[in-house]
Order: sequence, then structure tokens, then C-alpha cells
Amino acid sequence: MPRALVIEDDEVTARDIVAELGAHGLNAEWVANGRDGLARALENGYDIITLDRMLPGMDGIDVVSELRKRAVETPVLMISALSDVDERVRGLRAGGDDYLTKPFAPDELAARAEVLLRRHRRPETGETRIRVEDLELDLVKHNALRGGQPLTLLPTEFRLLEFLMRNAGQVVTRQMIFEHVWGFHFDPGTNVIDVHIGRLRRKIDGAGQVPLIRTVRGSGYVLAPAD
Amino acid sequence: MRPLTDAWRSATSRLILIYGALFAIWCVVLLGVVQWESSRYLTNVVDGMLAARLHYLERTDPHRLRDTVDAASAIDATGFMAAGLFDAKGQRIAGNIEKVPAGLDEDGVIHAVQARVDENSDEPARRARGMANTLPDGERLVVVKESAVIDGLGAIIRRGALWGLSLTLIPGVLGGILIARRPARRVREIQLAMEPIREGDLSVRLPVSRTGDEVDLLAGTVNTTLGEIERLLGEVKGVTDNIAHDLRTPLTRMRTRLYRVQQQIEGTPEAEQLEAAVEEIDTVLARFRALLRVSELEDRQRSACFESMDLGTVLKNVHEFYAPLAEDRHQVFELDVGKLPHLRGDPQLMFEAFANLVGNAIKFTPNGGAIRLVALTDPTGDARVDIADTGPGIPVGEREAVFRRFYRSDETRSKPGCGLGLAIVSAIVRLHGYSLAVGGNDDGAVFSVTCPAA
Repeated sequence: MPRALVIEDDEVTARDIVAELGAHGLNAEWVANGRDGLARALENGYDIITLDRMLPGMDGIDVVSELRKRAVETPVLMISALSDVDERVRGLRAGGDDYLTKPFAPDELAARAEVLLRRHRRPETGETRIRVEDLELDLVKHNALRGGQPLTLLPTEFRLLEFLMRNAGQVVTRQMIFEHVWGFHFDPGTNVIDVHIGRLRRKIDGAGQVPLIRTVRGSGYVLAPAD
Repeated sequence: MRPLTDAWRSATSRLILIYGALFAIWCVVLLGVVQWESSRYLTNVVDGMLAARLHYLERTDPHRLRDTVDAASAIDATGFMAAGLFDAKGQRIAGNIEKVPAGLDEDGVIHAVQARVDENSDEPARRARGMANTLPDGERLVVVKESAVIDGLGAIIRRGALWGLSLTLIPGVLGGILIARRPARRVREIQLAMEPIREGDLSVRLPVSRTGDEVDLLAGTVNTTLGEIERLLGEVKGVTDNIAHDLRTPLTRMRTRLYRVQQQIEGTPEAEQLEAAVEEIDTVLARFRALLRVSELEDRQRSACFESMDLGTVLKNVHEFYAPLAEDRHQVFELDVGKLPHLRGDPQLMFEAFANLVGNAIKFTPNGGAIRLVALTDPTGDARVDIADTGPGIPVGEREAVFRRFYRSDETRSKPGCGLGLAIVSAIVRLHGYSLAVGGNDDGAVFSVTCPAA
């Protein structure tokens, strides 16, 4: 069972995070301040850390900087009430792997944590092909096949499909898609992401084929065959 | 605001000029009175002398009168105090004046005349005062005194006035202009300081010097007022932001609980109702996010993330992002990027701004309509981006209001959204020092963003 460390000073938020991660099969432990959080992160091998940005005793930025300085590569999901782009940049530069703004929907937190866990377990080490069921993506030739048949994808659709395939089986939220595929961190606020997914879906899930892209209502999308 | 470029326009310069003019007028009046009074006094003295001389000659023994007149005229060889005795026909009998001056009646009253002592000389007749009387034997007695001394005094006073005015007014005006330059410069400084305030930056204060004069007092009062306005606006904004901020947490928790229940009872009619409730909460949360985003952008008084920006690429990304949405609505969505100047800015923020504008254009344009995203370099060398649509357009009366937070026109109330998109655009554009305008007509709206070249 993967282990998560939750460094969060607000008890209610911490309880929510622990419960949500637990619901997703992670064994989460809670620490209420930065210094203890850093000590615990250095002692025990956790699979993922959620780290509040503003902590008593030691700031979240300092905690993640110290971890990286000491060669601890555990993925860190930074959580902060500071939504400013500059703050996000600071958090990521200090060594955070992702940045989530408070208040957040727990499923958003869980989705991001799962993506980080997966990326940590299977780092992108020069793989040239990704395969999910009969869907194949060649990262060198930049082409896609479904059941051996080539798919005609626009550059954005290719990037979108790559992101979904790399996280196959994981729910990814619209915001995560927007951040990873387009590289922007504001709220697009429209159904544009749904439209892009819809177009990709029409190209991938042809008639008579097992639908691979599924909508998870109230949450986002997942690329995986139906159970 | 009219620029105060001309020193003559300044209040100080005008005061100096008015004061100088009044001073000159006063000097002229004063010296005029002095001259008039002096002339009157000297005229009286001359008239007294003439009257006394005539009186003396009239009472002289008639047998000795001729010699007496000769003697009297001999006393004053150069000063033109002439006397003459003439017969009834006007022929000179004695004295040093050859003819009775024209206009001198024998009435024993002083007259101003033009007189000449030597009628054969080339000298012009001189201004003089004269007095004549007829003696009992019919002879005429004339005394004349040149009034040069009176005129001379007038000339002296006039020259003095001219010098006095020149020596007072010219340095005064020049000094005044020099003195007026400092207040004019300070007013210009205040004008420059006011520019960002007019643009909405209430954190700026007017410069105050150490002299503590009226300008400083005024600047101090304006600064105090600005501080108070800033504080009050900050409080209002703070209250709004706090409400938005504080309500997000309980709303998020409520959403989480509803979502979990919905997941547990998936497939039942109740689950659909819960899903609708979750969507409603998502809408409210999106509004709060947008509201706080506007505040965050408005508070950002810096350009830390500014870099060399390829506006063409930003617009291509926006076009690529929205093209599928326009296509789904059977709208024509054209991109036309010309040669653009070098710009500095935050590509992330500019993408957000244009995404809002394009998103609105798509939303308000009916199915089958058209949206054009055009970027060009205008004649002044600045980049201009137009987002034109074939929607209902924005009435002229609402073109200012659409950039306010939460503003929804009658046209837009039926559409999804929260009336904050344009407030976000406006804040981003202001942060960059760009300008935003809305035009168009009933056939559609045109939003124009002008980006000064770096």
C-alpha cells in the first residue's frame, strides 16, 4: 500500500486529505507543522507528500527545498491558499511537483496525487511508444494507431491523447488537462476542454470499438476500457 | 488635462502681469497729477510775474514809460521775458518784442500765445504766456513770458516716469517670470504624478517639497484624500474578497459531501438531482474564483513575469484552443496575424485575456456567425488586436459598464457566465499598460487591445 505524508496545519483540511487519499488506497499519515514534517519525510520513505505552503515553524517552500537539497525525490504536491501565478512558480521552482490551490475538491487532490505517484513509479525514461489496449502512440514518429489503423490527429489532440494515455486508468480533471496539455494555470471557465475531448473521442472511439475515453461525472475524464 | 507648458499660462505669471500693469497705470496717474500740479503752480508764478510787471508799467509815469519798457525788457536778455509798447496801430514804440503776438487781446487777462522776440529770426515762435492792456492814451502795453520752464518741468517729469517705469517694470517682469517658473515646474510635477492616479492607481502620492507653501498644502490635502479613498476602496474590496474567500471553503466541503453521496447512489434519480446541485455549486465556486482572480490581478502592481512576448504565437494558441468550440457551433473563426512589433508582457496572462475575449465572442455570436481575430501594427507602430464578431453588439451606453465586475446586460443575462470575464481582461490589460476599447455596431462587437511596442 503506497504511503502518503500529509503536512498540514489545519486539522479539518488534514482530515479531508487523509480520508480522500485513504479512499484511493493510500495509507496517509498527518503531521501538523513544517519541522516535524521535514523530519518525518527524511526518516521514512513515503511515496508521496502533500505539503501546505504556509506552515507554523517552517514554511512549505523551505521544507521542499530542504528535501530536494538532501536528495529526497519523493513527489511533493504543494497545497496553498496563495493562488497567484508567482506563488505557484515559487513552489514549483523550490522543488514541488504540482501545486493545488485551496479550497480544492478532494477528488482533484486525489487525481493529482495519483498522477504524481504514477509518474514517480514509472518515470518517463525515453520510452518511444505508449500502449493502452489496442491504442498505440509512437512518440518519435508522432503517430497514433487504434487496432492497427492510423489515426489522424492534430498536434494538440496528440498531446491530449499522450497525457491521457500516460495516466491511463487515472481520473484527470479538466484543470489538470488544461495545465498539462496547454500549459496554463487559470480557470478556462468554459466547456472548451470538453469540446477538445469530444473531438478526440470521435477520432479514437470509432463505431464498433470499445470506448476508451470515459467521462467521470463531476470530476473529469479517464482513459481506460469499461470494467 | 491640458498640459501647462506655457509659462504665461501660470497663475503666478498672470498675477505678475496684472500687478505690473496696475503698477504702471498707477505710476502714470501719479506722475500725471504731479506734472499737472507743478505746471499749474509754475503757470501761476509766471502769470503773477506778468501781472506784476504789467501792473508796474501801467502805473509808470507816461513820460518815462518808453524808457522803463526798454529797461524792463533789457533786464531779461535771454530768458524771453519780453515787454513792448505799441501805438494804436500796433507799431512798436519801445521794448524787445517786435509785434503784438496773435491772439493776445488787450483785456488785462493772461493768454497762452505763440510769440517771437525777433520777428526776422528763423526761430519758430515759442509757447508763451502774455498779457496786454490799452493805456488811456491809446497805446498798448504788452508783457510776454516764455513758458519753456513749465514745459521743461513736464518733460523732466515724463522722462523720470519713463526711466522709473523701465527700471521698475522690466526687472520686475523678468524677475516675476523667473519666480513663476518654480511653481509652474511644481505644477507640472504634480500633473505628471496625477497621470497614474487618473489611470486608477490610488497608491501614488503627489510630490510635496519642504517649503510648505500653498502648493504643498494643497498637495498634502490631496494626498490625505487619496489615502482615505484608497483605504475605503481597500476595505470595500477586502470585504468582497473575504466573503468570496471565506465562502469557498464551506462550499467546497458541501460539494465534496454531495459528490460522495452522488457517487454512492449512482444510477438513481436522486443521483441526477445531486449532480445538478454539484454543478450549481461549481458555478458559484467558479464565480468566486473569477472574483478573486480579478482582485489578484488588480493588486499585482508589478511586472515580474514580463518577458519578451511573441503576441502572434499567443494569438495562434488562443485560436487553436477555441477553434473546435467555434466549429461545433458552425461559426467561422478566422485568425489573421500581420507583422507585429516587439512587445514585453506575460504570455500566460495575455492568453487568459484573449481567451476571455474570444470565449465571449463565440458565446454571443449565433450559430453560423463569424469571429475574426486580427492582429496588426497600427500607424503609430503599436500592435493592435481586434476581436470582431457578428453577435448582437454592445449598445453605446453600455460600453463603459461592460468592464465592471458582475455587469450583465439584458442581452447576456440568458447566457452562462458571471460578468467577470471582461473585468479580468481589463485588469490584465491595465497591468501591461495596454489599452482596451469596445466598438462595433448592431452587426457585432469589436474589442480592440492596443499594445505599445516595447
